[in-house]
Amino acid sequence: MNSRLLLASLITWLSGCERPGGPHAVQPVAHDSLAWTQSAFNTNCRGCHSQGAEGAALPLMNANYWAVATDAVVIEAIAHGQGRSMPAYLADEGGPFTSAQIVSLVQGMRSLWGAKDGATGGESVAISPRVIAGDAGAGAAVFSQACAGCHGPQGSAGSVIDPLYLRLISNQGLWSATVYGRSELGMPAWNQAMPNRPTGLTAQEVADVVGWISAQRPKQQRVSDAP
Amino acid sequence: MNFLKGSLAWIEERTGAMAFVAPLMFHHVPRNAKWWYVFGSATLMFFTIQIVTGVCLATVYAPSAAQAWQSLNYIDTEVPMGWMLRALHGWSSNAMVVMMAIHMLQVFLHASYKYPRELNWITGVFLLLTTLALAFTGQVMRWDQDAYWGLGIGAAIADRIPVFGDQARALLLGGPIIGGETLNRFFALHVFVLPGAAIALVGLHMVLIIKNGISEMPKPGAVVVPSTYRKEFEERMHKDGVPFVPDAAQRDMVFCGVCLIGLVALAAFYGPFGPGGIPDPTLINTNPRPDYPFMWLFGAVSLLPPASETAIMLIAPAIVVLVLVAVPFLSNSGERAPSKRPAMVLLALVTVTAIAALTWEGTTSPWSPVMDGWSSLPTPSEFTKGRTPLEMQGAVVFQFAQCRNCHSLDGRGGKRGPALDDIATRLSYDQLVRQVQQGGGNMPAYGKNLDSAQTAAVVGFLSTLHPFNEPDAMTPGAQLPLPSGAATIR
Ligand code: HEC
Ligand code: HEC
Ligand code: HEC
Repeated sequence: MNSRLLLASLITWLSGCERPGGPHAVQPVAHDSLAWTQSAFNTNCRGCHSQGAEGAALPLMNANYWAVATDAVVIEAIAHGQGRSMPAYLADEGGPFTSAQIVSLVQGMRSLWGAKDGATGGESVAISPRVIAGDAGAGAAVFSQACAGCHGPQGSAGSVIDPLYLRLISNQGLWSATVYGRSELGMPAWNQAMPNRPTGLTAQEVADVVGWISAQRPKQQRVSDAP
Repeated sequence: MNFLKGSLAWIEERTGAMAFVAPLMFHHVPRNAKWWYVFGSATLMFFTIQIVTGVCLATVYAPSAAQAWQSLNYIDTEVPMGWMLRALHGWSSNAMVVMMAIHMLQVFLHASYKYPRELNWITGVFLLLTTLALAFTGQVMRWDQDAYWGLGIGAAIADRIPVFGDQARALLLGGPIIGGETLNRFFALHVFVLPGAAIALVGLHMVLIIKNGISEMPKPGAVVVPSTYRKEFEERMHKDGVPFVPDAAQRDMVFCGVCLIGLVALAAFYGPFGPGGIPDPTLINTNPRPDYPFMWLFGAVSLLPPASETAIMLIAPAIVVLVLVAVPFLSNSGERAPSKRPAMVLLALVTVTAIAALTWEGTTSPWSPVMDGWSSLPTPSEFTKGRTPLEMQGAVVFQFAQCRNCHSLDGRGGKRGPALDDIATRLSYDQLVRQVQQGGGNMPAYGKNLDSAQTAAVVGFLSTLHPFNEPDAMTPGAQLPLPSGAATIR
């Protein structure tokens, strides 16, 4: 009797239930606290998305971002990645997070860095470029009036139609760069003053100018690099 | 019973099988060869396990770059006890290397390689090399990040070969970069070529063991004199030896049994090795560590001054192999007892200690990269201000390609490679491109893992890293091949 019990427990042990080395399911970690969000962000995201002038990609510790960005766009970017350099974070795609964790992360970031009164205020522009079709022809005019002073051949800010640059950034990324700007680095946000546009751009103008920049991609790139 | 005997006799008459096997089983071995002599058999047992589990794994494993990693996960999670199969294969591989090392050490300490067993030793040396090659190619089969970047460093070593560097690299990888070709090539080596070689060598080793007999326990004063040794040895065996079965075989069985239990316990408890992360350039593992049998080499490389690396990495292995092969020729007669060969004992001791220390060094090296540097350490604002959009993308690529895990900016980041805060004063644009694409030292070659836009961006970013008052390092003739527009920097 005793030896049979022993055998049975040996078999359950060997069949993988309680071994440190066996295949594990993703651990259900408590992921609903803001402390979790902050630490998950610090280890996984802050290297690229930080605040102020720090960090090479769009700052996410930034109320302006959360005033405009919709959960759908944010979750999509985190789960599946965006463009060339934003990795997918969903476990199914090799990342560290379950989809529930990604949702908590987004809600957590919104409450940590979004405006405290919950104001979004960005509805007018918060439309993905996939919805408002930009008119590249109109965009060319917007660009030469509002942007070329800094980004044109004589500008000091560097080209945004450099084919190499355009191979690295997605359309969503171009749109976000134009909408959120990086005021600490001298790039105005969409609703800030810029040459010939003292009160900034309209949502349609944003879509147009992004459409025009995107149309400057080298032809063979256009399909594959579109997000 | 009669029928059984009859059919055995029928087979025997036509094949001579018993006449072949009987001497194997009943040949006389020295009576005093007690527990010292079990290590060879245990090595053979582990090899047999490797073949059996390996054949089973090969039925499920998909040797294609796109599917290898998934198929290993499939074996781990879907195939009943599949994880156990992988665990056994992995642990038994390490156990085989360890057991072989112990066996070799025992043979060396007892000077069993002296006349007439020189060739036993030499086939043993080649078995060791084949086994190590199997272990290395086996690591590649996992096709995970370790495999990927281990190969990258292997390729960088091949690159060092003077004149033929490019060809050696192409031979190793099946092309200029690590790709599907590479996996096919290593698969063929791992399941056909190397096991074939190993089986042939084991056979040869066995034939030599039967032919030359097992050496006696060394006794001080019992010197080996080649001219008379064989005759006297055979007489002693005849008079005083015991048949291999059951006397020595018993001990082999017990020891192998214990090893087997240990192996199953290790496999069950610690599970299979890897596969680590997907070998995907979006998730580059910048901390490639080889499996244990190679850890000491890795440790040694990390301690070498960079200037001597090429010479040492290419020449040292050749010298080690030559010395091992030469051992029985350097002294094939005379005393065998360790007490009469203190220098040799010391040599063995030093070698074992050195390998252990280097393995430790390889495992715990203080220059380890900061594994989450790329995703946790933001680019300091002094390096984001005044950059063009392309250079900013370069700063993103610098994080994305995990350069930060090995290189620091403003004091934060990995310390494995040099800090890059003022790299533009040291290297020109072309030199930077070369460093990124071809690696060098302990830096992996990124090659095609970064496309031309990513390379141009990251190098563009690096070219901006210099103190305000110091100029770029422009070698004469080096031009910034930046496209129009991007040249309007800062
Ligand atoms: C006052 C000067 C100025 C004006 C006007 C300006 N920019 Fe910029 N822009 C910058 C600077 C400086 C940067 C570099 C900082 C950066 O990369 O975020 C930049 C960066 C960018 C980037 C790259 C962002 C990235 O990191 O990939 C895009 C895209 C861009 N600008 C688009 C525009 C568009 C479209 C307009 C016109 C609507 C415009 N900019 C107007 C100064 C300006
Ligand atoms: C290696 C750098 C890197 C890391 C690490 C990283 N990102 Fe990103 N992320 C980017 C880049 C670059 C983009 C823009 C890509 C594009 O559009 O071309 C981006 C885009 C995004 C966007 C979409 C922004 C928009 O509205 O257009 C979100 C949201 C985002 N990242 C969130 C995260 C979160 C959350 C994490 C951590 C879990 C993270 N990122 C980690 C580089 C990174
Ligand atoms: C696994 C760690 C590792 C990673 C990842 C890594 N490097 Fe390196 N890198 C090194 C080491 C080690 C050296 C020193 C090489 C030598 O000894 O010649 C080095 C050297 C360099 C140098 C030359 C430094 C000098 O002072 O001469 C440059 C430039 C460089 N790396 C850039 C990069 C870039 C860009 C990336 C990412 C695309 C990167 N490295 C990724 C380890 C790494």
